[in-house]
Amino acid sequence: MRSVLTGLRAWLVQRVTALYLLAFIIYFIAHFLFASPSDYDTWRSYAAQGDVKLLVLAGFVALLLHAWVGLRDVMLDYVKPISARAVALPLVAGALIAIGLWMLVTIAPLR
Amino acid sequence: MAAPPSRVVFLNLAQIRLPVGALTSILHRVSGVLLALAIPLVAWAFARSLANPEGFADIAAWLANPGVKVAAVLWIWALSHHLLAGVRHMLSDVDVGSRLWYARKSAYTVNIAAVLIAIAAAGAFW
Amino acid sequence: MKISIFRYDPERDSEGRMQDYEIEPEPHEAMLLDLILRLKGEDDTLTLRRSCREGVCGSDAININGRNGLACITPIRALGERAVLRPLPGFPVIRDLVVDMTQFFKQYVSIKPYVVDPGPMPDKERRQSPQARERLDGLYECILCACCTSMCPSYWWNPDKFVGPAGLLQAYRFLADSRDRDTKARLDDLDDVYRLFRCRTIMNCTEVCPKALAPSRAIERIRLMLAERAL
Ligand code: SF4
Ligand code: SF4
Ligand code: FES
Repeated sequence: MRSVLTGLRAWLVQRVTALYLLAFIIYFIAHFLFASPSDYDTWRSYAAQGDVKLLVLAGFVALLLHAWVGLRDVMLDYVKPISARAVALPLVAGALIAIGLWMLVTIAPLR
Repeated sequence: MAAPPSRVVFLNLAQIRLPVGALTSILHRVSGVLLALAIPLVAWAFARSLANPEGFADIAAWLANPGVKVAAVLWIWALSHHLLAGVRHMLSDVDVGSRLWYARKSAYTVNIAAVLIAIAAAGAFW
Repeated sequence: MKISIFRYDPERDSEGRMQDYEIEPEPHEAMLLDLILRLKGEDDTLTLRRSCREGVCGSDAININGRNGLACITPIRALGERAVLRPLPGFPVIRDLVVDMTQFFKQYVSIKPYVVDPGPMPDKERRQSPQARERLDGLYECILCACCTSMCPSYWWNPDKFVGPAGLLQAYRFLADSRDRDTKARLDDLDDVYRLFRCRTIMNCTEVCPKALAPSRAIERIRLMLAERAL
């Protein structure tokens, strides 16, 4: 990760994902305010639409990338011992990747 | 570093006057960490609510729990602060409001607006 | 008025302590430095740096009531009844108000604070149009007092790896110089996790600069230069 997402690239990723998340969250809030799904069937059939699936999946990818760059920045500032870093960084990365896969298997099969 | 290991350094944050932008910035970080910690919960609630009608009912009941509501208000504050501070940063990147005077005003605005949004959300919940 | 000063003698103290002084400003004393120098006249052990006493040399930067500034251009009237003086935050203290600037200057040197042009030497001077010269306004005036860098949280956490606002303002000063030919290497040097990108645009630097410069803006400009180059 260190060599792939550093410097300018990490900074750009942070901004591009931020813009996507901003639009996504505003859209989602609007959706819930004006067409709040009141039962399971409406909620599920909404979420199973092809374009909604894509939007949500892309939303999670953006969220996890954004969280990675952000959490790594926090750790670089406050977690000083190399040994603690060697544990914390892979742990966080692993957790984020696991959540990503979990969301993939949750969203992809929806019909 | 060649410096001897423990030298006296003055760095007592309580005795340093941090400008308003520093508050916006540290809250940007705190809210970001809170939101990151909440990701597993959000993912869980999302997956559960889509799994089956019982799961959907579970999440609906869970969201009505007072403890969860308090946490949700905190989460909404974190999200609002993080989004607003983020927008402020990106505008500053492209030279909108990057001058000190505007940056101070926008920092105040972000700090206060996020709290107001959280209060409004709390009002809507109860 | 009351002045509280951070005292630390490495030969006697294991940590700093605050010492209180009572002093009434005389009519001819306008700036904080005047008072400190009078105190030093009475108590010879009080140690500080100063030279120009008019905000040009940058040597008397200290933390004044929680905020970094130059004692020589801080009006006594602006202080009220009480002044608390401490050495620059985050820098190792040598004695009293004097801090070790080694790391700060190392970071400054690391950005190559000089025009680099491998081409043949011109016969006379390296010429610059008035417009190109104007682009250096707000950059060249820096007096390297370290008020900004010492107020920067990102520098507190990584002083050995993050260049800090003063160094980055100068990095941009040479990136913006029409006579410099080293743009690519300069940008490459800053494109890692630490040197430039530890800055979170907190703007503490711009808040405290006694010369009213804006290191945070220079840093944003460097990031835009990097982004423009990549896209
Ligand atoms: S930018 Fe301002 S505060 Fe920073 S070193 Fe230069 S003059 Fe001092
Ligand atoms: S804007 Fe950047 S350089 Fe200036 S104080 Fe903040 S983090 Fe430091
Ligand atoms: S004594 Fe030179 S800047 Fe204050």
